Amino acid sequence: MAMRASVLSDDTLLSRADRALYRLEQALGLVSGLFVFGLMLLAVYSVGGRNLMNEPVRGYVDWIEVAMPFIAIAGISYAQRDGGHIRMDILVGALKGRALWIVEFFSTLLILLLVVLLIWGSWAHFARSFDWAAPLFSRDSTIDIRLPIWPAKLVVPLAFSVMGLRLVLQLWAYGRAIVQGTNAPVAVPLIEDAATIAAREAEAVSGERED
Amino acid sequence: TEWNVSLWGKRRAFTEHVEKLAELVSEKTGGEFTLNINYGGLSKNTENLDGISIGAFEMAQFCAGYHADKNPSITVLELPFLGVGTLEDEIKVSMAVYQHPATVADLARWNATLLMPSPLPQYNIAGVGEPPRSLAEFDGLTVRATGGIGEALTLVGAVPTSVTSEEARQALDSGIVKSIAFAPHAHMSFGITEAAKWWTDNLNPGTVNCPVVVNTDALNALSDAEREALMSSIDESMQHYVDFYENETMAKWWPMLEEKGIETISFDDGRLAEFREKAAGPVAAKWIEENSARGLPAQELYDLVIQTLNN
Amino acid sequence: MEPVDIGIAVSLGMLVVIILGMRVAFAAAMAGLVGLVWIFWAKKGYDPDQFFWALTVAAKTAGQVPHSKVASQALSLIPTFILIGYLAYHAGLTRALFEAAKRWFAWVPGGLAVSTVFATAGFAAVSGASVATSAVFARIAIPEMQEIGYDKRFAAGVVAAAGTLASLIPPSAILVIYAIIVEQDVGKLLLAGFIPGAFSAVVYTVLIVGIALLWKNIGPPVRGFTWGQRFAALPPALPIVAVVVIIIFFVYNPFGDAWGTPTEGGAIGAFIVFCMAVYHGMRWAELKSALLETAKLTVMIFTIIWGVLIYVRFLGFADLPGAFAEWITGLAMSPMLILICILLAYAVLGMFMDAIGMLLLTLPVVYPAVMALNGGEAVSAADSTFGMSGPMCAIWFGILVVKMAEFCLITPPIGLNCFVVAGVRPDLSVQDVFRGVAPFFVADAVTIGLLVAFPSIVLFLPSLAG
Ligand code: NA
Ligand code: NA
Repeated sequence: MAMRASVLSDDTLLSRADRALYRLEQALGLVSGLFVFGLMLLAVYSVGGRNLMNEPVRGYVDWIEVAMPFIAIAGISYAQRDGGHIRMDILVGALKGRALWIVEFFSTLLILLLVVLLIWGSWAHFARSFDWAAPLFSRDSTIDIRLPIWPAKLVVPLAFSVMGLRLVLQLWAYGRAIVQGTNAPVAVPLIEDAATIAAREAEAVSGERED
Repeated sequence: TEWNVSLWGKRRAFTEHVEKLAELVSEKTGGEFTLNINYGGLSKNTENLDGISIGAFEMAQFCAGYHADKNPSITVLELPFLGVGTLEDEIKVSMAVYQHPATVADLARWNATLLMPSPLPQYNIAGVGEPPRSLAEFDGLTVRATGGIGEALTLVGAVPTSVTSEEARQALDSGIVKSIAFAPHAHMSFGITEAAKWWTDNLNPGTVNCPVVVNTDALNALSDAEREALMSSIDESMQHYVDFYENETMAKWWPMLEEKGIETISFDDGRLAEFREKAAGPVAAKWIEENSARGLPAQELYDLVIQTLNN
Repeated sequence: MEPVDIGIAVSLGMLVVIILGMRVAFAAAMAGLVGLVWIFWAKKGYDPDQFFWALTVAAKTAGQVPHSKVASQALSLIPTFILIGYLAYHAGLTRALFEAAKRWFAWVPGGLAVSTVFATAGFAAVSGASVATSAVFARIAIPEMQEIGYDKRFAAGVVAAAGTLASLIPPSAILVIYAIIVEQDVGKLLLAGFIPGAFSAVVYTVLIVGIALLWKNIGPPVRGFTWGQRFAALPPALPIVAVVVIIIFFVYNPFGDAWGTPTEGGAIGAFIVFCMAVYHGMRWAELKSALLETAKLTVMIFTIIWGVLIYVRFLGFADLPGAFAEWITGLAMSPMLILICILLAYAVLGMFMDAIGMLLLTLPVVYPAVMALNGGEAVSAADSTFGMSGPMCAIWFGILVVKMAEFCLITPPIGLNCFVVAGVRPDLSVQDVFRGVAPFFVADAVTIGLLVAFPSIVLFLPSLAG
């Protein structure tokens, strides 16, 4: 799947909701990127501290383990919006119009079911590590310097919830495309061929408007 | 009844009691009750307690120090310089703490019942470069040590540096740390003895505590005959474990030290007492303070440990 | 049904939904979740009252995996290595490398393609991710090749194939993953990748020159660079040498102790490239886009990792790996033939799976089998089947498996590198890239054959390190 599939937009409520959510998703993607950058700086600080001052960062590994879920999961919906999660599109790529949107609708529906179950499971995972009554609310801590783990566990159900919103929005968009029978639905990533068709149609439409 | 048992790594000295337990239970019930032992496939080792709580499997092993906040009560057994001499001592003191009501309640939050310990001998430090022959020489020594042992070493000026056990050898080779604290079997299985030049024979700063637990609901659901078969096999399994560690693992350890030319660093009683004085008290006091704040009868647990060992 | 049968049924179901176009990470996760429900419910004799219990346990078991499996220090190398790739692009390193390679090597038949391979091999020494490497060179090399009349599919194929060098030539994320899974020395494995990586580059070059000689219109040579121009192109590419040396010294210092762990080496390398990028004029806008690209590629890779690991968790409960290991060690075939069959199986599996997912999925089963074939983990070279000690066999098999995994990055239908190249170049479809990369299957087959026949290509460097 292309890393940067095209997503069409117009001035419908659906498309505006898509763009609003996309801003949130981009922000989460940036959080992920900034954590990678932070990881790099932490290593520089750790190596420098060890070699220059014989004073390594205590709990270097613990900090990495707490940072990794932010890096690896926060941007999941960002990738979904842009069609970034890989798949085999040889079969679906051959479909067009309603048939394609029906397949996409059901595939998205299945992912939504999965994500809802994972929100439940990952929330439970977080809840086991969180306790209002405990110091730092912590019921689970890292091995070395005992950092609370719950923030790193909380990021999972939060990111999955944003993903759930995205999937609902995509279901709406595919459902609309099925009803309208269009070749150029807004708010969903388009497969290569469909994107070309869509671009041509968009050109035609705008040409007509200018007349 | 079939139980899934979540361990990790490979079959080794550390898991022999569970293997023996499975053998005995199946024998006693004529195959009616079996323990299906799985190494690493059912859970990550730091999440075995979560898996027990969920009910994904019925029996598991974990180490208290992996996640102190999950099981504060049993981390008392990982305090430095408790004065545990033998594996039998370690079993005795572990069982005493496991049966304390506060510990039972602590584990009950996970729907878990403590079954038996996996007693490990005292950790000792293996390293490269100049060995620390006196307390003063620990100053500035980089060491891979976690939990209470790491804290104790900090108090004599050592610099604990966190690397995972998998990265320990690499860290030693690359000079990130000069020394590693492990139990003998881990020194061997992580290849530390391939690189080390010296080993502290009697520093004995402490060890880790790794119990075997069962899911309480699953335990209650067993038939009387099955429960009897399980509970009556614990002592024999523990005995098998101790024999195995002493006769197999430690029997390999001493000739291996000789063969690799690893220097044994022994400290005289005066120096050990000095170290104990500097490190043991403050770390224990801090543990008691922190865990009292959690609502744990920390002083009582600590006293229980000391009394059990003195008897 | 026995757990093993449930394992097989669910795995087949997963393949079907993947072929039907469901995103791979979610298909694997769903297979794992469905499988867990099935296993737990079967344990309760499919009692309708117990279905909700089974669903709860399955959801909570699966729900642990995304956090628990990504919170790993070893895996933190992956985003770092990806970040280096994108920063190096902004530091102008890729263009400088490509320019230097062009001036020195473009005169041969298929010259620009050969230059692309050499520039990519050089870049591979700072980049740890094949996919990122292909993405970067798709931007730089494909337009230049198209400009002088290269077939666009061939140009895309060169970039997709050459990108795979990044995972053999250290630093390499996938070699790190292998080392972690099989508990072998990361440093020695990274070291072992050097010669096979360079060797692969040479085989690609031979193939390109051959193709260019046979079909004159595919890749015309570029002549006319003076020696002055050639030497002038070297200094801008030189900083990469510094970075390479630093990363290598963090892994293996021939003169003494290494400088740190591979994790740190990667991060320090990234930092140096970052400083160069800032010097080269990178500002917040470019940094932000590099961070966003890094985030997107990272999250894509990690989603596959945890998705597949939910499936693997289910396999643990189904004990499919155990059943498989028993079956393969009981085969009445020569060990070498079994090894070749295993590699061929990877080629087939890799058609349907992502490289990292495939390794994660199979190594827990396959690696012990291979070690057993050689005579065990502690076997000496003299007593072994393949003529090498246990640790050396682990390294050799690691390089072979990673080369297979890299091969899978360019094979249809899920050749990630090809998807990425097509994604970066809107004028190219995935099918175009797959068509262009096809000749390189031959080159990779030859390379793998030679690595199997002559293990010393792999083992020479690590045996020096002791
Ligand atoms: Na590389
Ligand atoms: Na593939």
